[in-house]
Amino acid sequence: MAISAATKAATDALAVNRAPTSVNAQEVHRWLQSFTWDFDKNRTKYPTKYKMANETKEQFKLIAKEYARMESVKDERQFGSLQDVLTRLDAGNRVHPKWGETMKVASNFLEVGEYNAIAATGMLWDSASAPEQKNGYLAQVLDEIRHTNQCGYVNYYFSKHFHDPAGHNDARRTRTIGPLWKGMKRVFSDGFISGDAVECSVNLQLVGEACFTNPLIVAITEWAAANGDEITPTVFLSIETDELRHMANGYQTVVSIANDAAASKYLNTDLNNAFWTQQKYFTPVLGMLFEYGSKFKVEPWVKTWNRWVYEDWGGIWIGRLGKYGVESPRSLRDAKKDAYWAHHDLFLLAYALWPTGFFRLTLPTAEEADWFEANYPGWYDQYGKIYDEWRARGCEDPNSGFIPLMWFIENNHPIYIDRVSQVPFCPSLCKGASTLRVHEYNGKKHSFSDEWGERMWLSEPERYECQNMFEQYAGRELSEVIAEQHGVRSDGKTLIAQPHTNKNGKLWTLDDIKKLNCVFKDPLDAL
Amino acid sequence: MSVSSNAYGAGIMAKTGKAFADEYFAEENQVVHESNEVVLVLKKSDEINIVVDEILLGDRKADNPTLVVEDRAGYWWLKATGKIEVDCEEVSELLGRHFSVYDFLVDVSSTIGRAFTLGEKFTITSELMGLDRQLEDLKS
Repeated sequence: MAISAATKAATDALAVNRAPTSVNAQEVHRWLQSFTWDFDKNRTKYPTKYKMANETKEQFKLIAKEYARMESVKDERQFGSLQDVLTRLDAGNRVHPKWGETMKVASNFLEVGEYNAIAATGMLWDSASAPEQKNGYLAQVLDEIRHTNQCGYVNYYFSKHFHDPAGHNDARRTRTIGPLWKGMKRVFSDGFISGDAVECSVNLQLVGEACFTNPLIVAITEWAAANGDEITPTVFLSIETDELRHMANGYQTVVSIANDAAASKYLNTDLNNAFWTQQKYFTPVLGMLFEYGSKFKVEPWVKTWNRWVYEDWGGIWIGRLGKYGVESPRSLRDAKKDAYWAHHDLFLLAYALWPTGFFRLTLPTAEEADWFEANYPGWYDQYGKIYDEWRARGCEDPNSGFIPLMWFIENNHPIYIDRVSQVPFCPSLCKGASTLRVHEYNGKKHSFSDEWGERMWLSEPERYECQNMFEQYAGRELSEVIAEQHGVRSDGKTLIAQPHTNKNGKLWTLDDIKKLNCVFKDPLDAL
Repeated sequence: MSVSSNAYGAGIMAKTGKAFADEYFAEENQVVHESNEVVLVLKKSDEINIVVDEILLGDRKADNPTLVVEDRAGYWWLKATGKIEVDCEEVSELLGRHFSVYDFLVDVSSTIGRAFTLGEKFTITSELMGLDRQLEDLKS
């Protein structure tokens, strides 16, 4: 059959230069970046004081198709194993009871961080001007949505399969009672989305993700596996596969401002503030969850912290940036002290305030006390003997009429809340880097536990107005507050929180708490 | 336990109790020290186990004598001086099917250092990419 001259010309040309049957994803990425947009009039809701350069690269060279394929494979593997193999093995019920309680806190609180990171990276997308940097932030927005769903799924899974679902199944309405929640919001919410966009990147990506997700999402999987939990490694290691891209985004944020001479005026202060903000909460809370929320110990928390925070993040991430004027955080000395002691201080308070939790805590056994003393010399004299006294007074038994909060009042050890971090502290007992400082502002008293938070507050007091639990509930009786905040199980009277994880132990009820006549009081009123 | 300085329990981590505390709180350890190491966390999977066993600890072992690989339950923890590279074209040959760098990223759980891709190669390096050396694009 005759063909036209044009068709013949096309056929001949294709014979010489064959049409591509596939294109490498990174070629597509390069091609896409050749499109240029005019960002001179970039509209940002939250402008940054930093000047972000236009030539910043994206380290993973992502395009939408490869991103979608990669993430769908991750989700197929994760949900596939959860719904099939792990369910058939009754994996949710093989988790040690202590660790199952730990995951009520870890997965719930991480979910909030992931949710706020959606907004944080959206804000960064808005502020950046380099097309590749925007591409990296955009992928991160999608990742954070995925992570929020994954964390929600962990709770859903445990709600169906763990022996005591209370706390997993309704944490969203019960997690606000106690003092751990507001500190978590400070690091996972305010730090990520309030203020200068680049400062938020330093909080979220350079410190939160490059530093603290390694213990929070990687190291936790070792503790989970050691305590019979196959669910958490399956989900958390998958979440962390996206975090490395977020770390790269944080690094590229620094690259984008590194050649701006004015950046050096702010960067070290912002880095120090971000490091202190993140460590002030994560250091004690993660240490407490790992060591006090497990039966089988992996290694002392201070070693995990020393590896991931001091040696790796400090030495590899920050240390290498020294020649560009980035300094070791000035708050590091106090952070190291906290990494050794602050989680022990926090458990003392968390156990004393156990009725305000949405999870169960239990005192260290004799075997665990030996482990603590061997790894933290001086632990028994500071903490262990107090736990022996509480145990002897029947702190686990509802009939004893004793909760350890009473011991703090009897022995004149007032508990304060740090206004900036919202972390509780007891200055007369703590061994971490905490000392009481009080300021009065607009007729209201504010307590602080360290100079770093105090400095941040003095420069922007209006940024830290969150009421603490003693102010919020002042004059209210404890059982009333618990009932109002839905801290009870489906029978309407048994508390979700309990001071033991014994499956056969007697559970405390609202009536048991009411008998104590425990009324919230703000310790700052006495000063 | 490995005696390599890159091992999980090397140096101060091998100490316990008071000996650990003395070094941890020593004056010289109150500021961070610049490090030329990199860390890679790989989620265990069929493909990753092959990458670790057959490539990093197999054919390519001589390329990177500082590399340490440790089993941490659900993941492999790797640490090396300078950099770690994985060429996914080599992985494809071993697997007998196409395995792109984005297939590899499915199981890369964490990195300490500067991680990037170029073509089918994944690199984690202690170099300051974008500052000391420019990140490259794939040539057409």
